Amino acid sequence: MYNPLTRREMLSCSGNSFGAAVLACWLGSESSKAAEPDLNGGLHHRAKVRRVIQLFMNGGASPMDTFDYKPELKRLHGQNLGPKEKPEGFTAAVGSVMKSPFEFKQYGEAGRWVSSVFPHQAQIVDELAFLMAMTTKTNVHGPASYMMNTGFMLPGFPCLGAWVSYALGNLADNLPTFVVLPDSRGLPYNQKANFSCGFLPAKHQGTLVNAASQNPIPDLFADAQYKFARGSADRDTVALLQQMNRQHAASRPEDSRLEARIAAGELAAKMQLSAPEAFDLSRETKETHEAYGLNQKETEDFGRRCLLGRRLLERGTRFVQVWSGPQGAVNNWDNHGNIQTELPPIAKSVDQPIATLFRDLKSRGLLEDTLVIWTTEFGRTPFAQGSLGRDHNRGTFVTWLAGAGVKAGASYGKSDDLGYQTAEGKTYCYDLHATILHLLGIDHKQLTFRTAGIDRRLTDVHGHVVQQILS
Amino acid sequence: MKEILGLFIFLPLLAPVSSSFADENAFFRDAVAPILSKHCYDCHSHAAGLMEGGLTLDWQSGWKKGGTRGPAIIPGQPEQSLLIKAVQHTDPDLQMPETRLSDQEISVLVRWVKQGAIDPRHTKPASDTADATDWWSLKSLQRPEVPAIHVDNPVDAFIQNRLKAANVSASSAADRRTLIRRLTYDLHGLQPTIADVEAFVNDESPDAYRRLVDRLLDDAHYGERWARHWFDTIHFADSHGFEHDVFRPHAWRYRDYVIQRLNADIPWSQFIREQLAVDFFFPERTELIPALGFLGAGPYDQSAAATAPKSFEYLDRDDLVTQTMGAFVSTTANCARCHTHKFDPITQSDYFALQAVFAGIGKGDISFDADSRIASQRNHWEALKTAAQNQNSELLLLPENQKLVTEWEQNRGSQPRWETLEPDIFVSTQGARLKRLPDHSILSETKPPEQETVIVTGSTKLSTVTAVRLDLLTDESLPHKGPGRAQNGNLHLSEFELQSFPENASSGTVIPIRRATADFNQDGWTIEHAIDGNPKTAWGIYPKVSMGHYAVFEPESPLKIEPGTRLVVTLKQLHGGAHIIGRFKLSVTDSPNLDVIALPTEAETVLTIPQQQRTPKQQLTLASTILKYRAEQELKQLPGQVKVYAAGAEAVNERGLVKYSQPREIHLLARGDLEKPREVIPPGALSALTPLPGRFDLPESHPESARRAALADWLADSKNPLTWRSIANRVWHYHFGTGLCDTPNDFGRMGGTPSHPELLDWLACELRDHNGSLKHLHRLICNSHTYRQSSASRSELVKLDPENRLLARMSRRRLDADSYRDAVLLVSGELDLKQGGPGDAHFTTTPGPQVTPVLHYDQFDLNRPDAHRRSIYRVVWRGIPDPLMDALDFPDLGLLAPTRGFSASPLQSLVLLNNRFVLHFAHKLAERAAKSETIPGQVRQIILWVWLREPTTEELNQLTELAQQHGLESVCRLVLNSNEFLFVE
Repeated sequence: MYNPLTRREMLSCSGNSFGAAVLACWLGSESSKAAEPDLNGGLHHRAKVRRVIQLFMNGGASPMDTFDYKPELKRLHGQNLGPKEKPEGFTAAVGSVMKSPFEFKQYGEAGRWVSSVFPHQAQIVDELAFLMAMTTKTNVHGPASYMMNTGFMLPGFPCLGAWVSYALGNLADNLPTFVVLPDSRGLPYNQKANFSCGFLPAKHQGTLVNAASQNPIPDLFADAQYKFARGSADRDTVALLQQMNRQHAASRPEDSRLEARIAAGELAAKMQLSAPEAFDLSRETKETHEAYGLNQKETEDFGRRCLLGRRLLERGTRFVQVWSGPQGAVNNWDNHGNIQTELPPIAKSVDQPIATLFRDLKSRGLLEDTLVIWTTEFGRTPFAQGSLGRDHNRGTFVTWLAGAGVKAGASYGKSDDLGYQTAEGKTYCYDLHATILHLLGIDHKQLTFRTAGIDRRLTDVHGHVVQQILS
Repeated sequence: MKEILGLFIFLPLLAPVSSSFADENAFFRDAVAPILSKHCYDCHSHAAGLMEGGLTLDWQSGWKKGGTRGPAIIPGQPEQSLLIKAVQHTDPDLQMPETRLSDQEISVLVRWVKQGAIDPRHTKPASDTADATDWWSLKSLQRPEVPAIHVDNPVDAFIQNRLKAANVSASSAADRRTLIRRLTYDLHGLQPTIADVEAFVNDESPDAYRRLVDRLLDDAHYGERWARHWFDTIHFADSHGFEHDVFRPHAWRYRDYVIQRLNADIPWSQFIREQLAVDFFFPERTELIPALGFLGAGPYDQSAAATAPKSFEYLDRDDLVTQTMGAFVSTTANCARCHTHKFDPITQSDYFALQAVFAGIGKGDISFDADSRIASQRNHWEALKTAAQNQNSELLLLPENQKLVTEWEQNRGSQPRWETLEPDIFVSTQGARLKRLPDHSILSETKPPEQETVIVTGSTKLSTVTAVRLDLLTDESLPHKGPGRAQNGNLHLSEFELQSFPENASSGTVIPIRRATADFNQDGWTIEHAIDGNPKTAWGIYPKVSMGHYAVFEPESPLKIEPGTRLVVTLKQLHGGAHIIGRFKLSVTDSPNLDVIALPTEAETVLTIPQQQRTPKQQLTLASTILKYRAEQELKQLPGQVKVYAAGAEAVNERGLVKYSQPREIHLLARGDLEKPREVIPPGALSALTPLPGRFDLPESHPESARRAALADWLADSKNPLTWRSIANRVWHYHFGTGLCDTPNDFGRMGGTPSHPELLDWLACELRDHNGSLKHLHRLICNSHTYRQSSASRSELVKLDPENRLLARMSRRRLDADSYRDAVLLVSGELDLKQGGPGDAHFTTTPGPQVTPVLHYDQFDLNRPDAHRRSIYRVVWRGIPDPLMDALDFPDLGLLAPTRGFSASPLQSLVLLNNRFVLHFAHKLAERAAKSETIPGQVRQIILWVWLREPTTEELNQLTELAQQHGLESVCRLVLNSNEFLFVE
């Protein structure tokens, strides 16, 4: 009745089993199956992607002011064409049609329209693949953020990064498998629950890294005030601890969990050796710093996290998620008040770093097996909120993907003339997630975890791989 | 036309098909039936047990009769047939199935209908529902025979019978040190002290172990431990979760309730009834109101509640259905939200019947009297107050109440003497002309302003003021002679404010008013509104215009007046429409309080008539006035109510009072889609579990709580096959680490099947038949040999029973996050065992970008006394977990967590080695051990406390060397990270 994978962890990781494979499984190392050469690290079919960096624009990035050019808005500007009754989740009354205050131009060979807020991404559009008609089920930040991260509108479900960690394990055992880099100004909506591993084992949750801190990984080392836990004291203590734990395990050979804790201790020591180097951005050149925008106030924070993301991917972190904008009324993509003044600064803060990240990954050959995703939790209304802002709109929004396995310059789906709803080629988070998993060599229908009586999937009972944007 | 056109287009395609069929029955069988079966039967057939919209398509009568929208097919008229419309996806409201059929399939169906929809399926297909309940958990609960093998404990009889069949012997009992450690962690979530261990090891009496079990069960730490399990099961936490992860300062009262009820070992059925509907079953037991915290346990989407209320309520009820059915009957009812359950006998209608149970509740803080005696007094006086307001003679003229009136009358002195407050200064802020008349009253003249505020400053010779009186007087110059200046003679006094100005003071002192009374109150515009601080409410006197009125305002305490002190009275009249006072006069008195209330003229008149001569009507007039004041006075003196975060008929949250006049009407939603409401569903539960009622028989008009009570009764019924198995299995799960059924929240076909079904049924019967006592079950289990077995490795079991489901030995378990933290505190000598009360926040906060604060777990002062209580008392912030607890698999309480996970990772190792909590208490442990004289003595002491045994010589040498090199704290840090400490044998 069960797919053998369904209960991979529950059965093969059970406390009384034994063997190297089990140990690997406890620790989240690459599964033996994933190591089969013809799968290239995939679980069900050959993988094209081995690592992922996801850039999440928190607050609902406006499509018609960035990538979704809508000339009709200019013609209909000022007309009352919106719904008469306030739809669920709109925060205010629906105003009249509002044109984009930004100039759009065509870029690249495909002549893709991009607004003036993204001059740098405009230069790489030929290498990106766009989902132009993404849609979601709610106009409220909390559930919508859950949806785009976990596939469910409710708390408690594992996010994409956790599922990938669960499915594929790590690429390197000296760095965390799944790293989250939140905006230094604060956490997104839903706090840490967007990076939760839900009901998956705790090791799959996102490791929250404060890129601006001296101690980016909490508890990597003991605080300096605890001298007995630093330096040689630490080394000698851990060595004796490992020895005593081995003695303890020797008379309990059937229990792989004891071995797993000992092995985890060894990996922790490796991480202590490797992580400081990985997190040390001073090892990058001045040119690199400047290319990522670390020398400019506006781009410094996001640029630093993109650069750190690249260093981590390079060294074997499997999945990096970089957030732009905290929760709240300011400094993010939730531009209710005035799109003309609120969007440009947040757009500027990411634009150059993103373009640089892409080029950097490419020039280093990392793009051969890395996927880059740019996304958000929903779109914004073509109707004004107040007179200058835009409200939440689940109807349609834009996501782009780039890198391994992605058809450069492709575009799938269309929004309607106003950019209010999808018109064709509608995709949900399920389809996006199915596509990402597919690139990683995972069949989204076969990646399941049994909890409370249900074989849960990232894609619930939905999801189609969007072949149109795959190479 | 469109369909016909389509038919022509596909005609060439069909031509070869049609020619190959001998007759129409064959056409149906070979071409039509496969399409129906492939695309429609999943939701519209007897075999699937699913008849969405009441429609079946697996026999002729099914589509002829049709569903809620009427017949699905009109033979010969494809364009009129709903089925054809649905498959063509032309009508946005009727598109089925979700993925459109191929054009060729559609044209086959169109042709079939056009040709008369010949359908040879005349007999009703057999339905699968007959055996839907043929499943272990749904069979009626019968007490199994205990296997006749020679053991004392029935649990052992079942377990060993099975082992015998597998030709495996049970393990021998664990040693006493292991047993007391195992039992103390299991029943208390605590490590025993070395003194406890030694006492038990040295107890030579034959019933030492049994007495230990009893002692631990009788201790209040038992409730603290087992409450934690329940909170995991029902995803209880101290904050909302979601976008606005707001703290719930009153959630802890539910935590304390659960601890207390588990310690009291109340019957499980009562535990169910209290948590779902204590307000219905035990309204007088107000101290149990925190039980309703069960209904408020889960997350709450504050943002969606404000901006997307319809979908918010839908999902919020869904969470409650999931929680209630998962926790009490291990049923995944929520799987039937979009379609009838694919595996278990739960129809979509059942699911919405369960939603209907919760269709009238509000989530938020519920106020209650923690002392039920206070509640009964409150009820008494509230009832009397209502009776007075409604002139309920039956109640008011009861001898006991008449006695109160007589008492008042006897205590009342002569009429209070009112001294006129001579107005020195009086101003209108709106520029009306105010004129002082010879009787010291003030008249408002010229064009009346819309609104008015009059400030009067005056002085008195009295040395004490117990009340200020405001007389509203008539005057020929006013409309209808006043006393107001509105067209109808009315006025609205929005606020009355009193200040005292001692001589030479630079500012006045506001005098709080404790009570205001008036001789007459306009309906809905009572005098209380003049002192409620709300400028939008006011006192009025309509329709009793053209006559004088008065009101009396009493300061919180009698006001001492020094010579030279002046009183300032502000009369705010902000209603608009010239509802302002026409003529008024102020006076003061020093009479004792009881005397000074304003009485309606009718009551004043009654007082002048000797008691014996009063008519019943006159008695009523007096009683309703006097008893209302008395009731208000008594109510004011009662201690305040406290709150719990819960859900019920009414609750207060960020949106104010949430109270539905009627429960929401719940519709079955096709595919679970809010946009596709179908028939109305009444409250109920699962309809397949006869003889239990599938829908609740409630009177037409019933309180909201009656719905919850009906569900509680359904769940708590001794005939419910799921309830008793569910809790018996949970208890087993927590004792052994794995349930007899290893999916404690799912006893359906997708869940596990029990390893020992008879044992589970026997335990369920024991529980049911022993007054639902959990402690009875704990005693049975803990005293069994099965539980007392050693966990030592046995090589032959590795292959035979790798998951230890046969239980030929005890399973080893890692400490859960809570037990680990508590044990670290205990061994370091710092554990504070104080029980109950508000939770401890193990973090500091700073304001966040929105209402959710930023939590700093790393900046909390670990020396604070409230840092040292047991983990059950910590604040659990749903969306911002404590990194220490998180690393040790404390669950994400966004969802139900019926089991705790196990993980091992480098990050977990780093947390246990370097988290400041561990290091701080390693330091404390070292300090505690430093009282021993030598380093080896100190090391030995630490090992005794932490490992509860003597160190071996080698261990002692190695650890002593470590201590000599790096300090005793290094030894402490090591043992707190050791697997021997982290695992329980």
